[in-house]
Amino acid sequence: MNIEKVAVIGAGVMGSGIAAHIANAGISVDLLDIVPKDGGRRNAMAEAAIAKMLKMEPSPFMHPKNARMITPGNIEDDLARLAQADWVIEAVIENPAVKQALYHQLAAVCRADTLISSNTSTLPLSVLTRAFPDSFKHHFMITHFFNPPRYMRLLELVIPAGLNQDLLDTVSNFADVKLGKGCVVCNDSPGFIANRIGTFWLQTALLEAISGNLSVEQCDAAMSLFGIPKTGVFGLLDLIGLDLLPHIMQSFKQNLSANDRLSLICAVPPLLQSMINQGLTGRKGQGGFYRLQADDGNKTKQAIDLQTGEYRLSEKCQITGVSHKAYGLRVFLDGCGALNRYAWRALSETLTYSAGLIPEIAADINAVDTAMRLGFNWRYGPFELLDRLGVDWFVDKLTGENRPIPGFLSSRQSLYRTQNAELQFKDITNHYQPVPRQEGVLLLSDVKRRGPPLLTNTSASLWDIGDGIVCLEFHSKMNTLDPDILDLIRQSITLIKQDYQSLVIYNEAENFSAGANLTLLVPAILQQDWTTVEGIIRHGQQSYLALKYAPFPVVGAPSGLALGGGCEILLHCDAIAAHAELYAGLVEAGVGLAPGWGGCKELLRRWLAFPKRPGGPMPPIARTFETIALARVSKSAQEARELLFLSKDDGITMNKDRVLADAKARALALAKNYQAPEPAVYVLPGKSAWAALDMAVHNLQSAGKASAYDVEISRQLAFVLSGGDTDITRPLNEQDLLDLERQAFLHLVRQPGTLARLEHMLKTGKPLRN
Amino acid sequence: MMKNVVIAGYARSPFTPAFKGALAAVRPDELAAQVIKALVQKTGVDPNDIEDLIMGCAFPEGEQGLNLARLVVHLAQLPVSIAGVTVNRFCGSSMQAIHIAAGAIQMNAGEVFICAGVESMSRIPMGGFNYLPHPGLYQNYPQAYISMGETAENLARKYQISRADQESFALLSQQKTYAAQQQGLLTDEIIPIAGNAVDGCLRPGSTAAAMSELKPAFLEHGSVTAATSSPLTDGAAAVLVCSEAYADAHGLPKLARIKAVAVSACLPEIMGIGPVAAAQKALKRAGLTLTDIDIVELNEAFAVQVLAVLRDLPIALEKLNLDGGAIALGHPLGATGARITGKAASLLKRENRRFALATQCIGGGQGIATILEAVS
Repeated sequence: MNIEKVAVIGAGVMGSGIAAHIANAGISVDLLDIVPKDGGRRNAMAEAAIAKMLKMEPSPFMHPKNARMITPGNIEDDLARLAQADWVIEAVIENPAVKQALYHQLAAVCRADTLISSNTSTLPLSVLTRAFPDSFKHHFMITHFFNPPRYMRLLELVIPAGLNQDLLDTVSNFADVKLGKGCVVCNDSPGFIANRIGTFWLQTALLEAISGNLSVEQCDAAMSLFGIPKTGVFGLLDLIGLDLLPHIMQSFKQNLSANDRLSLICAVPPLLQSMINQGLTGRKGQGGFYRLQADDGNKTKQAIDLQTGEYRLSEKCQITGVSHKAYGLRVFLDGCGALNRYAWRALSETLTYSAGLIPEIAADINAVDTAMRLGFNWRYGPFELLDRLGVDWFVDKLTGENRPIPGFLSSRQSLYRTQNAELQFKDITNHYQPVPRQEGVLLLSDVKRRGPPLLTNTSASLWDIGDGIVCLEFHSKMNTLDPDILDLIRQSITLIKQDYQSLVIYNEAENFSAGANLTLLVPAILQQDWTTVEGIIRHGQQSYLALKYAPFPVVGAPSGLALGGGCEILLHCDAIAAHAELYAGLVEAGVGLAPGWGGCKELLRRWLAFPKRPGGPMPPIARTFETIALARVSKSAQEARELLFLSKDDGITMNKDRVLADAKARALALAKNYQAPEPAVYVLPGKSAWAALDMAVHNLQSAGKASAYDVEISRQLAFVLSGGDTDITRPLNEQDLLDLERQAFLHLVRQPGTLARLEHMLKTGKPLRN
Repeated sequence: MMKNVVIAGYARSPFTPAFKGALAAVRPDELAAQVIKALVQKTGVDPNDIEDLIMGCAFPEGEQGLNLARLVVHLAQLPVSIAGVTVNRFCGSSMQAIHIAAGAIQMNAGEVFICAGVESMSRIPMGGFNYLPHPGLYQNYPQAYISMGETAENLARKYQISRADQESFALLSQQKTYAAQQQGLLTDEIIPIAGNAVDGCLRPGSTAAAMSELKPAFLEHGSVTAATSSPLTDGAAAVLVCSEAYADAHGLPKLARIKAVAVSACLPEIMGIGPVAAAQKALKRAGLTLTDIDIVELNEAFAVQVLAVLRDLPIALEKLNLDGGAIALGHPLGATGARITGKAASLLKRENRRFALATQCIGGGQGIATILEAVS
C-alpha cells in the first residue's frame, strides 16, 4: 500500500502546518475545518489558513506552488472525500468529546485500510478510543508532530495493541522517507516523551532562575554550553507562547500522578501570570522574556528582569573559558558561582527526572534521546548528555548532595558504547542493544566508528563509505573552506583515481558550508598582500576545476547552508543529492565580492544550457546576474532547483539521515561508464551585455533599490558575465571565465567598500549595505 | 486632386493588465488576428480589396516576431493576397501604420488598408528578451537609452509638477474611464477575446488618499508612482483606412477624414513632451489652431507627461480623453496609436463635432499626431 492522498482535519497552526508539509512531499492533501458560524464562504477556515501560511516567514511551504497541492474544504460538505484518503490526520481542539464525535463520523466514511491518527499532544490514546470498537482501534493511532511541522523533525507515535501492522509500516515509512521525520515510538503516557521532559526542564529552569536571582541572558547562555539551542529556556518560552504554559501545566497536573516530579512543580509563577495578564505572551504578543523595541528606527533588544518584571536593555552574556569537552563541562557544573549552581540544578533535575521515566514513557533511552534531539533541537538527548558528563561523576555528585540515585543509573554503567564498530545503548535490564538504523539510513558518524579516515587534516577528512565510494567531510569552523580543505580535495583526487570509484561531499553538521574562510582573506587585504589574495583565488579555482574534470563522478550532498564557496563546490559536482532543507546561494556580493572560485562560470553555464530559457544571449546572463547580484539564497532545495543550483536530475531527500545513502547510490550509478564532462564553451556578447546590465543597475539605484557600492560590485559582476571585452563571434572557454572572475575579485578586494563589508561581516555576522 | 482618406471602422480587444489579466495567456499574434477578423466582419469590407495589413508593434520579437503582420493575415483567415508589414515606432507604431496607409492611398498605392497594433507586455518584456544596447552610444549619450520612468521624473522637475497634481489627474482618468465603462460607452469598440469583453486595468476604488501612500516607482525621492503611470497592458486595436471614394462606393461608414499628420522629435530625456511639437506641426499642416480642435485623444503614458504637454498645448480638460485614458485603461504599446485614432474618429461621430486631434509621446524622444475631420 502507498500513501497517495492525505487529509488533515483542523486548519489551526498544527493542522495547516502538517498539511503544508505533506504538500511539500508532493502529496495531495485535503484540509478541512468547520463551516464558519457567521455564514460566508463555507471553506473560509481552511482557505484563510492556506493564505496565511503563504505569507509566513519562515514559510511552512518549501515552494509557494506547493500550496496548490492542498484542497480546502469543510467537515459538513466534504467528509465523503475522506473515502479516498489513505491517511487522515485529526488536528482539532484538544477536547476528547469533540475528537470522539469526529471519530464517529470518520469511522462511517473512511475505509478500513485508511489510517486515522490524532495529532494530540496531551490526550492519552486510551481516552481517545474509549468506547470505540476494536475495528476502529485497528486503524487508529497517535501521530504527534512538533511545531513548525516542516522544520521540526520529530514525529511521536503512540501505537495501540492490535493496530494493523501493514498500516503502521506504511505510515511510518511515509513519515520517515517522504516527510523526513524521525519516528519515535512512545508509550501512552501524558505528554509522551519530548513534551514531558521538555516541560519539566523549562519549568525547572524557570523556577531555578527566579529563585537564583539570575538574568535570563545568563541562564540561556549557560544552557547553550550543553548543546541546547541558543534560544535556551527563555527564548524558547517566548517562541512557544507564554499564554500556553498554564494550559500545558494544567493538563499535566490533571493527567499525571500527584507525586510525579512534574506534578509537584506544576504551578504558574506569579511573574509569568503577570506577564500573561499584560499581554506579554512572547513573540506572537507584545514581547515575552525578550522583546525588540524600536526607538528612532533603531531596534534594541530588551529582556525582563526576573525579579522586578520590568524590561531593561538586554546584555549579551558570553560564558568564557569553559571548554565544551566533558572535563570543562564538569568543572563548570562543579563551580560554586550562582550560575554554576543554577546550571547544575536545572540539568541534574532534568537528567534524573528523565532517568526515572524509563520505561514509563518509552521502551529505551535511545527513543528518549532521539525525541529530545529531534523535538527540541538539543544536540544531545538527556542520556547522551549524561554519558558525556560521565555517569560515575554524575552519580557521585548526586550522592555527595544526598540526593536519590535513579535506579536506572545505579549500576553506573555507561549508557552508550561502541562494540565492534557498532553503537549500542543500555537497556532497562542493563544489557546493551544496537542502536537501530532504518533501512536506507547511512550515517557518517557510524562510518567513523569503523576506523580511521583515509586522509585527514584539521579542516577535512576523507572516509571510506563502502562499495568503492569515499566521502569528503568538512569539519572546520562552520565548515568554512580554507587551504586545508582545498589541499585535501587534491589529495583525495589522487587517492580516488588509484583505489576508488566515486566521491561524495557530505557532512553531518547543521550547515554544509558557510563559504570561504574570510578570516584568512582579510589580513592579506589589510596588508595589501595581493599575491596571497590571488593565490587563494587560484588555489580554489584549480581545486574545483580538478574536481569537475576528475575521471570519477563527484556527488555533492548538502544540507542547511551552502553559501559562497560552499555553493561553488556544489556547482562543480556531477550531481547533487540534496537534503530538502538546503539554503544555497552565491552571496559574495554581501561581503563586497563576486564569486571567484568558478561560481559565475558554472551558474552561467547552467543557464546557457537550460532548455526552458528564452532564446538569445541575454536571458542566461540576466538570470545569472540577478541571482548573484541580489545574493539570492534558496529557502529550500526545491527553490535551489529553480535557481539552477540543482539540476532537474538532482535528487532531493526529505530525511536528513537518508541523504548520505541517497548520495552514495547516485555516486554508484554515475560510476558506471563515467566520463568527465565536456569543457564548456561560452558565446557571450561582451560590452553590449555589460551596457544592458549596467542600465538595469542604474535604474535600480535611481529607485533606491541598490546602494552606491552595490552598483560598483554589480558592474564588476556584469563585466564577468558578459564575457569582458569579447564579442559574440569570439567564443570563450572556462579558463577565460575564471580569469575574468579573478580579475573582478582582485579589483574589488582593493576597494575600501569591500574591506568595509568584509570587516562588518566578520564583526557582526550581518552584511553591510554601503 | 488628392484623394481623401477616411477611417471606416475601429475595433479593439479588451485591455487587461499584463501577467495577471485575462489576456496574459493569449499569444499576441492570435489576439491581433481575432480583433482584425472581427473588424473586417463588423465593417463589411470585402477582404479581397484590402491591399496591405500594416501592424504596429513596439517589441516585434518572440511571438511578435518575424513579420507579424503577414502571419496575422493567415491567422485572421484573410485572403492570401493581402500583404503584411510590421512597423515599429515604439508607442507610436500603430498610429504610424495609419499614416503609412494614408500616404499610400494618396499616392494611389492602394485603396483599402487595415492598420492595427498589438502588444503582449505579459509575453514579450519591454526591452525585449535580448537587450543589447550599443556600448559606445550608451557611454557617450546614455539618454538615448533612458528609462521611461526617468523621463517622467525629468518632466516633473522641469515643469515643477507636484505629485498631488499628478494624482488628481490620474484619479480623474480613473473616474472618466470607469464612468465610460459603466455607461457602456466602451462596449461597441471591444471585441471579446476568449469570453473576455471587459477592460481589466481600471481601479475604480482609487482614492487620492490611497494614491498618496504609494512609494515612488522610479526615483527613490521622486514623484511618479504606479498610480500615476500607465500600467503594463496586453491588448490589440485595429482601424480600417480607405479612400473616401472607396467608402462611398461600398457603403462603408466614414467615421472621419484624415486631415493632417506629423511626427517630431525632441530630447530623449524628456520624451513625454513629444506631442507638443507633433501636434503643432500637424495643426499647421491642417491650417488649424488648437482652439479649432473639439476632441483630443492625448495618450496618458504618465500623468506628469500629460500635464507637461498641457502647459505648452493648453487643451481644455472638457475636450480631453472623454472616455478616459491609458492611466486607467492601459497602454499596450504597439496598440495604443490605433486605439486613440479610432477612438477620436468615433468620438467625432458620437459627439457630433468637427475636428479631432490624436497624439502621443514616444520613447527615445518623439511625438506623433493625427488631425481628423468629421465627414459631414
